[in-house]
Amino acid sequence: MTIQADNMLPAALREQWPYPPRFASVNGWRMHYIDEGEGDPVVLLHGNPTWGFLYRDIIGPLVRSGRRVIVPDMIGFGLSEKPVREQAHTLDGHSANLTALMRQLDLSKITLVCHDWGGPTGLSFAMSNKGRIRALALMSTWAWPPPAAEFHTRIFPWRMMHAPLVGPYFLGRHKALAGRGVYLSVVDREKFARTARAAYEAVLPDPATRLLTWVWPRWIPLDQEARAFERFKWLEQELSRSKFPTMIIWGREDEVFDAVTFSNRFKQMIPHAEGPHLVTGRHFLQEDSGPEIADLIRSFLDRLDERQVAQ
Amino acid sequence: MTEVTVIEKADLDGKRLAFGLAEDRIGHYPEFREFFSRTFGLEYKGLAEPGFVRAPSGIVYTLIFIGRSGEPFPSGVEINAVVDALEPIDSETLDRDLWAILRWMIGGVGGAWTVEDFDRTGRLYRVAAASAN
Repeated sequence: MTIQADNMLPAALREQWPYPPRFASVNGWRMHYIDEGEGDPVVLLHGNPTWGFLYRDIIGPLVRSGRRVIVPDMIGFGLSEKPVREQAHTLDGHSANLTALMRQLDLSKITLVCHDWGGPTGLSFAMSNKGRIRALALMSTWAWPPPAAEFHTRIFPWRMMHAPLVGPYFLGRHKALAGRGVYLSVVDREKFARTARAAYEAVLPDPATRLLTWVWPRWIPLDQEARAFERFKWLEQELSRSKFPTMIIWGREDEVFDAVTFSNRFKQMIPHAEGPHLVTGRHFLQEDSGPEIADLIRSFLDRLDERQVAQ
Repeated sequence: MTEVTVIEKADLDGKRLAFGLAEDRIGHYPEFREFFSRTFGLEYKGLAEPGFVRAPSGIVYTLIFIGRSGEPFPSGVEINAVVDALEPIDSETLDRDLWAILRWMIGGVGGAWTVEDFDRTGRLYRVAAASAN
């Protein structure tokens, strides 16, 4: 099983991703994940178009602080199976994929860390499996029906990029999101290009493997007729009632889900949430502030542990 | 030649269809489905025959429309180059032609969708074919 990771990742990047790959059959698909350390589980969820590598600076510190860290690659990304039909990808289907993995590993007391589409998929799992959840951490994501970010309503560049036929051309043939798209959404672009960009491009080597990069944008509800409108409405209602300890972390420079609008809306929905803690970062804030985010999550969990002991 | 033109039929004798692009959800923005329906008379032709266009390179492309039960027609479309049966297609030529066909499509869809925004998006993501526009 290590052959796949070794073959796909450039040699220079393997040092940054030393974790033995594990695979589970979930909901009919082959899902890659890593499972490191011991303790209460922390599950780190990525979005479009990244994979577990996004959390490489966060995994080690959490493991060393006595946590079990599980990082799945969404079906369609990373080292997981990549379906070749658009119809294989639905919001509910991806939540069910995660649910299958969490149940197979029989995880409970989960701290769920959600970024981008890891938010709607992970939070749908959390709100339908509340008995398995301990806490939530939210980063550059959303969990409500329209209005989405103003960015997502614009033709240039967002709607144009994934328009019919244009999506398969820009994001498939030309890997616009997996390559330059991530590059444009970090603060330190020179460092990203030098140390990380190849890891995101390597796991999506061909146009067909990049299918989900243009399918996910089409699932962002822009009006009440959108496919996922009802799911997001439910998610908003459930999350608003949620009592789970929650932390909000956001990138100061985030231009996709800007901090003022999005982190504040989460804060209104979940008034007891800690934060928002602002760190250096655009949408892919883990690239610029991985160690700082790890420290925020670690100290958040330490405080929960202390409260638990005190009770 | 810089334009894309709709043609009636292509001679397929001794040719093969070289895959270019596939789109499973042409109606994600319904105005795109309306454009193809209007341009190729799909309301009358249905699945009976594909559409054909000639691209700037002179190569003819087929647009094969796909139906899906329970959804408005067409639900999807494939774009294939009509090339000599045993000859490979030059990938740069294919890419430039696909760019031109998409640009033509955006112009035809119209409304809020403009070729200027298409060109800007191509330049933003450093698509080689965009540099000519």
